[in-house]
Amino acid sequence: MQVTFKVYRKDPEKDGKPTRSNYTLELAEDATVHDALLKIRDEIDSTLAFRASCARGYCGECMVRVNGSARLACTAKVPDYLKKGPEISLDPLRNVPVIKDLVFDWDAFMWNKIKQVRPWLEADGSAVNGEQPVSDAAMQDLRKVMSCFYCGMCDEGCTVLPVDFDFLGPAALTKAYRLAFDPRNKDSREQVKIVEKPKGIWDCVHCYEADEHCPRGIEPTKRIVALRDQAFKSGITHEAVARHHASLAASVKESGWVDEGRLAIESEGVTNIKGLMKLLPTAAKALARGKAPIPFMHSKRPEADRIKKIFEKAEQEEK
Amino acid sequence: MKYAFYPGCVSRGGCPELYPSAVKVAEKLGIELEELKDAGCTGAGVLPQYVSDPINARTFAKAERLGLPVMTICSTCQGVMAQANYRLKDDPKYREKINREYLADEGLEYKGTTEVKHLLWVLFEDYGIERLQALIRRPLKGLKVSPFYGCFLRRPPEAITPTKELNRRKAYLDELIGLLGADMADISGKGKCCGFPILSANEENSLAMVAKHTGESKEKGADFMVTPCPLCHLNLDGNQPRAESQTGKEIDLPILHLPQFLGLALGFNPDEMNLKRHIVSTTEVESKVNMMS
Repeated sequence: MQVTFKVYRKDPEKDGKPTRSNYTLELAEDATVHDALLKIRDEIDSTLAFRASCARGYCGECMVRVNGSARLACTAKVPDYLKKGPEISLDPLRNVPVIKDLVFDWDAFMWNKIKQVRPWLEADGSAVNGEQPVSDAAMQDLRKVMSCFYCGMCDEGCTVLPVDFDFLGPAALTKAYRLAFDPRNKDSREQVKIVEKPKGIWDCVHCYEADEHCPRGIEPTKRIVALRDQAFKSGITHEAVARHHASLAASVKESGWVDEGRLAIESEGVTNIKGLMKLLPTAAKALARGKAPIPFMHSKRPEADRIKKIFEKAEQEEK
Repeated sequence: MKYAFYPGCVSRGGCPELYPSAVKVAEKLGIELEELKDAGCTGAGVLPQYVSDPINARTFAKAERLGLPVMTICSTCQGVMAQANYRLKDDPKYREKINREYLADEGLEYKGTTEVKHLLWVLFEDYGIERLQALIRRPLKGLKVSPFYGCFLRRPPEAITPTKELNRRKAYLDELIGLLGADMADISGKGKCCGFPILSANEENSLAMVAKHTGESKEKGADFMVTPCPLCHLNLDGNQPRAESQTGKEIDLPILHLPQFLGLALGFNPDEMNLKRHIVSTTEVESKVNMMS
């Protein structure tokens, strides 16, 4: 089959401005995008830069955007991308510093962030003769997470990273989960605290894009949610988030549902004049349009006491 | 056709225009609603699972006792409840534990048979599109509309799109825009997050998301955006002026709730759908709609 690839090009040694090169080539019916890239480099243009290593979907090195969507070049079959026409576009990831052509800066993209989550295990010291046996059952959940091969697909799919590249991102936060929930960790709480800092777990919008993107089914979003539940259990250390959660929890406990007026005020902090002032213009408009819920004038749901009882029992059970 | 109605906190709190619009639209469609007045908050993705799962199990048990499926009008309520329901249905041992520890006291038991559906899903899966089309009194011709689903109505797949056929759910809002006679102003972030969940943790990022989605919609020439999620509405409408100040760019894009959009096509006046209650002015939309009738 004959296919034309429209490939993103950028040469830092020239003016560094992005351009596109078109390559038309003959490929076997079962060719992958990785096969095509090799053929282009070997037979048409030896200046084309891209990354690849294992060529069997294991190492994650060859991630590239195929017709706009992030894929591993070595597992992306060319015919799958020809349904809309005979041309295929290849681009580096979005929002990542590009070094040359399809080669982007992995340190900035992921490795520097993984370093921030203290990516090693500080064992609790109960090892005997240098060994610390853990039951198979205790490791079962973690084994799934440990199958992560750092392809970065979850970060590529993330909703937050396009607006804030400093967000730690699902890959690094999943690494934090792997360590926080390791039964040998001497201080899991500390591990969670590290990712409670700004740009960590509380900056995640839990939109589940990461889970949809992960080729291993590791479900990074669910891991982040588990870290947050763990923080809730032991006392949230992010101040603004702690205020928000405490207010929402208090109104559900007291009335069965959320007092939104109260939540808006208490989330800012009742003594935070500056924070409350910024709410004023919208609050005034909302009041004028009969839209603003009046804080603390919140009716109880029938059977609110039942909900309170469930809430308190669940908290007790988890302690 | 009858549902156990779960309106959610926001439809009477921060978006009080939503609840009465939804009730009017349901009545017009002939959908009977029995409100679950004694149900608790879903947890909104804020409360931890170990608290919200038992509270949601209680809601499902109440609906099960009535023999009715649950209908929501909020993508967040829908998402949180669908995820909880998936866990409770999928794992009988977990369900039994919750029944024993939390619901038995009240003489309740959740057997795992309750279906939870957003109004948007009800229209396509239970009510029927032909039946809906027959009731359209004011095709919204000439209006350009952007869809915005609310990310909780898109993922995770096991709870939201559990079968291949139900993948259609990801396009219901797009389809509805065409069915009601309007034109589509498609945007790349329609299935992404609106930013509301991180308003406390990182306001700057949250407002940047508002500006991104509404700005793109405006550039595509939309008259307004429609969303089935009142939490998205709180951010996209309520915080749009602050997003404008942050980016220094005027946006001025009205955001309509799904029932309001539906209601206009069913023949309700903009006033009956409480359009005046929004933060971003809907005057232009109102005059365009009034000229149609």
